[in-house]
Amino acid sequence: MKKLLATLCAVVLLMTGCGGEQQANKDKPNDNFSSAELQLGMVTRLNTNEKNMGSVLDQFAEKIGVKDTKHLPKFYDSFNAMQMGLESGQIEAISTYNSVANYVVANNDKMEIVPNEALNKITDSFCFAVRKDETQLRDDLNKVIDEMKADGSLDKLINDYVTNVNKGQALPKVDIPKTEGAQTIKVGVTGDLPPLDLILSDNTPAGFNTAMLAEIAKRLGRNVEIVQIEGGARAAALNSKLIDVVFWVIVPLGNDLPIDLDKPEGLELSKPYFKDDVAVIKLKANK
Amino acid sequence: MEFADLLYKIFLKDGGWLTILNGLWVTVQISALSLLLGTVLGSLLCFFRLGKIKPLKIVAQVYISIIRGSPVLMLLMLLFYGVFARQGLSPILVAVITFSMHTAAHVAELLRSALMALDKGQVEAARTLGFSKWQAFKLVTFPQLVRIAKPVYQSTVVNLIQWTSVVGYVTITDLTRVINNIASRTMQPMITIIGGMIIYLALSYLVYGIFHWTDRRRTQ
Repeated sequence: MKKLLATLCAVVLLMTGCGGEQQANKDKPNDNFSSAELQLGMVTRLNTNEKNMGSVLDQFAEKIGVKDTKHLPKFYDSFNAMQMGLESGQIEAISTYNSVANYVVANNDKMEIVPNEALNKITDSFCFAVRKDETQLRDDLNKVIDEMKADGSLDKLINDYVTNVNKGQALPKVDIPKTEGAQTIKVGVTGDLPPLDLILSDNTPAGFNTAMLAEIAKRLGRNVEIVQIEGGARAAALNSKLIDVVFWVIVPLGNDLPIDLDKPEGLELSKPYFKDDVAVIKLKANK
Repeated sequence: MEFADLLYKIFLKDGGWLTILNGLWVTVQISALSLLLGTVLGSLLCFFRLGKIKPLKIVAQVYISIIRGSPVLMLLMLLFYGVFARQGLSPILVAVITFSMHTAAHVAELLRSALMALDKGQVEAARTLGFSKWQAFKLVTFPQLVRIAKPVYQSTVVNLIQWTSVVGYVTITDLTRVINNIASRTMQPMITIIGGMIIYLALSYLVYGIFHWTDRRRTQ
């Protein structure tokens, strides 16, 4: 028994020892940070792969005059996993949005926002996605989005739920109005992108997207039921009619990037309801 | 931020601990129900597998090999978004069905291996001494079966608890999902996930403890 234990200990030590060395070797290029290659964490795009995304970003960077940067995107299904990837050195930086980046650095003092000439020039917009045959629902959503843009209530929501939250105010709760006997729209959210999408400590969904849904429920006179769903199960949930709407699909604004990076076949998109510039986050020590 | 403040913010603030407990309760519910159903179904499967009726034997064999050879998450997704998609069953029920099916296959195999480890001669001896088939099973086979199968069964239980951590894929808010939600909200995934692991670990040790306790009671 003692021998067995001793051997086991030796094996464990050996293995961790070797692993540590490999890790150290792997980490070295990170320390002498070169601008030539950027290992970039991104939330999984539904209609492209990492390699293709990389070349899209390279082309974009070249177009606006940032030469010799090779983007190596790595897709993560959740922001959580991406953040852990950053902390463990799998990736050098995270590509996300100003609103999210501000939230991250306010809540985690190990991270900081760093400027990036190329990526900061990208603006993405957020849309709802519905099944292809649900054009009526899409039109209804579009109508509400137009109305809200026109009467300034969309800007107010952005102010209340994004801008103010990032100034350090508490996250407001969201009440979704209920209409007796009305039709219910089921919406899948991931709850994984604060302050846009998150789940409060009492397990209720909140954030800008949820506030947007509450407004839609009010204006359409329908009930909205929020279903929290893993990023990877979004397509399955939509196709099996468990949910009618997927939050959110990202569509790059302007003509610099292909618009269908996040839009697979068989989805119909609403008009954009929110747009934000890309921001890059890094670990402070990695500077 | 002080570490203690951070812990407070992650696990306690605004009733966060209550949500964690709720998540834990969902995990325990799914695990316990699946364990119960899975054990019953597994015993039945084992009975068919070793029985004399050919068709049932083949069905049991095929069932066990398919379920044991496929990842439980795939089975869960298939049942929830495919087979039961139109029935409107509650996600928890679908999860219980899935994990019962999965556990059943494992229990059937562990019972079979335990039965094979038993000495056939003992049952034959009991039968020659005039015990009925049922008596021989109850007095000779069963007590030994329990003793042999117990350690493996124990690890099946612990495995089951951990398998249930994928139920977030079918919209259930279990312990893992709660932990992930907290990690997203607080932007502190490392600490939160370590906290979650400790809770799972405690649950596993609780299971070990219960088994250990029953062992001691038997020897007393």
